[in-house]
Amino acid sequence: MNTVVLLKRVPDLVEDLEVDSSGTALDSEHLKLTLNEFDDHALEQALLLKEGGGGEVTAVALDSEDVDKMLFTALAKGADRALKITGTGAVNGTSELAEVFAQALGSVNYDLVLTGVQASDDIDGQLAPTVAAKLSVPCIEVITGVEAGDGSVTVHKEYAGGVLAEFEMTLPGVLGIQAAAQSPRYAPVSKVRQIQDSATLDEVAGAGGDNGKFSIVVMTPPETGEGAQMLESVEELIAVLDSKGVI
Amino acid sequence: MLGPTERIAFLLLVIVCGGLATHGFLRIARIVRLGKAAERTDGLAGRLINALIDVGLQRTIAKARPLVSLAHGFVFFGFSFYILVNVNDLIEAYVDGWTTIGAGTLAGVFNLLSDLFSVLILIGMLSLLVRRFVAKPKTLEFNSNVLLQAKAAGGGVRRDSLIVGVFILIHVGARWLGTAFHLAHNGHGDPWLPTASVVAQGFAGMSPDTLELAMHICWWLAMGLIMVFLPYFPRSKHLHLMIAPLNLALHKSTPHGELDDVIDASAPGAKTLTDLPWPSLLDSYSCIMCNRCQEVCPAHESGTPLSPAALEINKRYWLNANSSSLLAGGESPMLLDFATSSEAVWSCTTCYACVEICPVGNAPMFDLVEMRRSIVFEGNAPDDLAEVLRSLDEKGNSFGQSARRRAKWTRGLDFKIPDARKQPVEYLWFVGDFASYDPQCQEISRTVARILHAAGVDFGILYEGERSAGNDVRRTGEEGLFEALTEQNVETLAACEFERIFTTDPHTFNALKNEYGDGVTVPVEHYTTLLLRLVESEEIQLGDGSRGKATYHDPCFLGRYNGGFDAPRALIEACGTELVEMPRNREQSFCCGAGGGRIWMKDQDGITERPSDNRIREAMSLGAIDYFVVSCPKDLTMYRDAVKSTGNDGKIEVRDIVEFVADAMGLNDEPGDGAEAIPRAGDEAEAGAAPANG
Ligand code: SF4
Ligand code: SF4
Repeated sequence: MNTVVLLKRVPDLVEDLEVDSSGTALDSEHLKLTLNEFDDHALEQALLLKEGGGGEVTAVALDSEDVDKMLFTALAKGADRALKITGTGAVNGTSELAEVFAQALGSVNYDLVLTGVQASDDIDGQLAPTVAAKLSVPCIEVITGVEAGDGSVTVHKEYAGGVLAEFEMTLPGVLGIQAAAQSPRYAPVSKVRQIQDSATLDEVAGAGGDNGKFSIVVMTPPETGEGAQMLESVEELIAVLDSKGVI
Repeated sequence: MLGPTERIAFLLLVIVCGGLATHGFLRIARIVRLGKAAERTDGLAGRLINALIDVGLQRTIAKARPLVSLAHGFVFFGFSFYILVNVNDLIEAYVDGWTTIGAGTLAGVFNLLSDLFSVLILIGMLSLLVRRFVAKPKTLEFNSNVLLQAKAAGGGVRRDSLIVGVFILIHVGARWLGTAFHLAHNGHGDPWLPTASVVAQGFAGMSPDTLELAMHICWWLAMGLIMVFLPYFPRSKHLHLMIAPLNLALHKSTPHGELDDVIDASAPGAKTLTDLPWPSLLDSYSCIMCNRCQEVCPAHESGTPLSPAALEINKRYWLNANSSSLLAGGESPMLLDFATSSEAVWSCTTCYACVEICPVGNAPMFDLVEMRRSIVFEGNAPDDLAEVLRSLDEKGNSFGQSARRRAKWTRGLDFKIPDARKQPVEYLWFVGDFASYDPQCQEISRTVARILHAAGVDFGILYEGERSAGNDVRRTGEEGLFEALTEQNVETLAACEFERIFTTDPHTFNALKNEYGDGVTVPVEHYTTLLLRLVESEEIQLGDGSRGKATYHDPCFLGRYNGGFDAPRALIEACGTELVEMPRNREQSFCCGAGGGRIWMKDQDGITERPSDNRIREAMSLGAIDYFVVSCPKDLTMYRDAVKSTGNDGKIEVRDIVEFVADAMGLNDEPGDGAEAIPRAGDEAEAGAAPANG
């Protein structure tokens, strides 16, 4: 079973995020990108499937800051191939990104597409179902376990409140991964560096992208409320209600 | 003395047993050579001389267990002299009429020494046997979760000890009795042989023939037994008497705090036994299985499955059983299958206590680091550690925080610390992760800054240009990440102008001082050294007044690794604080449990007591103590937690040394309560006292 993993670099939330002067995008000066944590789980799940039943794993990502290191890291972890989609220009939102990925997948032989269930920059929906729609294949999301079958996969989906369901999905198809069966493995730096010296990244020219159907009108940080006032006693409460003219 | 048949019989014994033993020794040499390369033979003559001096003075043994060491001293010095005795006895056997008894003063002195040493050896050996088999000290037992080869677990070490002990008793006892029979045969005692003369009186009634026979039996029990015992040596832990001096001579000669580089970058570290460097294989033959290393190991003490002693013992037992197949090209065994468990490997705090204490120069810790290197390279780092390593790779710190916020702690200061990337400074302060990001430690960092500012020291920091120095990263086995961090720091440092580096963190101190190679060529010091110098040169003026009673915890990477014992103590006392030592101090300091990346991993399941809790208990046993003083940011957090978890909140306060310095300088006095803040030295008229700006 050949698996493709769609990897996305998203703004690192430990940095201070600021909106730039246009008011429609994050200020790139303070932006640091990092691999979407759920995508890391998708990659881990793909590697586990490969280790369990063979097949190839291809990691696919859009060209962006530090993307090479991220793809080499995927190779160091055990992916067989890394594909970088270049020259797309601005890609706004999930729908456009899904189009770019779907076009790029035209050149790849795959049975299963895995990606993270969500990302911090999912602006217009989640990637997995959007890509599935563009590819006209089935999709299941919030997956916490995958077992390979013959021409299909059995997946575990998690619902709110801890309810679990098991599905069988005919391939090809797309899965939105919530968590791999184990924590994403660590790729040692020296191995990544060795891979960097010995392996190459495949490149494919991006197609799709900005379709003009979608634009961001305004972006602002969430308004912070004034905070809660902690009251220590009933008397205080009465005083507050009194001052507001409630009683 | 021997008859012709006896002479031939002994010669045959020498040939057979000597041959067998030689075969055993050569096999050991061939096994050791299967290990990976290591540079240990530079300056060989000096190494050998130093090792002989150490052995001769019993230096490495005297570090611990005084009574056992004394008993060992009796046996050691006795046996050293017994080499002469054995040579004499050989001559006596083959040269008719040769005897030292009644042969003048020189022979008399020889006799006196052999007489006394015989008794001392017997006393020493008996005491050691009584200790092991009657007193049965707990230190000779292992935690039940420690991986131990079946033969060792089944009493192999005890049996070995018993065989060796009995051999020594018979060998020396027979020699001593033989002399007594000789005296009885002569018909009179000899003042040069006081104890043998006393014993000889008991044989006075025996016939000359019986005495003659007894002398022969004793000779054979003394000398023949050596030969019979010889082939057993290569299999026994008693081999230490030959290998230990060699092992001490071939000990790592680079600084304690500098780990050996990775040998094979395509497969770093050790997965199998022969992936280990050869000195690690030699260690197993040198090991006397005394468990001293285990006794001081914080991981074993806290109930984890790690025992550095068991690691050495397992290697040895495996080799004893399998050296033939290994030498015949058989597969080298996976270390995690027989030497120690993966959980044990990750329990090591790399505190160096085992290496420091080992009387025969073994270094179990290095094996563990080699194993970590291999485990990490194969992508099997524990999850909690992996998360931190990822953060260190992406953000340059272990806190998962933004690299840009590294110097946020400086915002609480009412002056700006110069940016060493923008202006030359005399001192470059390498702050370190904990001192930069941990909220409790940030307060300490600000105190350091205020002290130095007040003292007019010209210093600067790298702000967000600093990355973790990588000390603990290297000790988790993530060599590639260590190199990456080093490269980034060296690049940043290369663009700055400074004369010296000082650090807050002993871990950072160790890495910059010992592991940055050509990347750091200026002197590196810990802040305690710098502060003491400023106090001594009176650039820092400490007020009078006494500041309570304190005990001080030596951080591993400042103390045991780098010998920084005195400056912190001198500083504490200079601040008017009375210092009381804990039983385990200086080289014997007990690790807080944070090193080697342990601070990034959760507690192991089923530990009995955290090392930091153990240490606080030790401090509390000193009686009324006000402060537990530390000089390492990690210690500050570890011990503040430990004071709480041991229920000692409010009874003892964990303080960093700089807090005493700041107090004694009056920096913490409320303005207006009489004590003026000390002006900056640079502000004074005689500004010449301040260091010149670089
Ligand atoms: S390694 Fe050293 S300290 Fe540990 S048991 Fe062996 S000889 Fe003793
Ligand atoms: S370095 Fe410390 S923790 Fe590690 S094995 Fe040695 S004594 Fe134990």
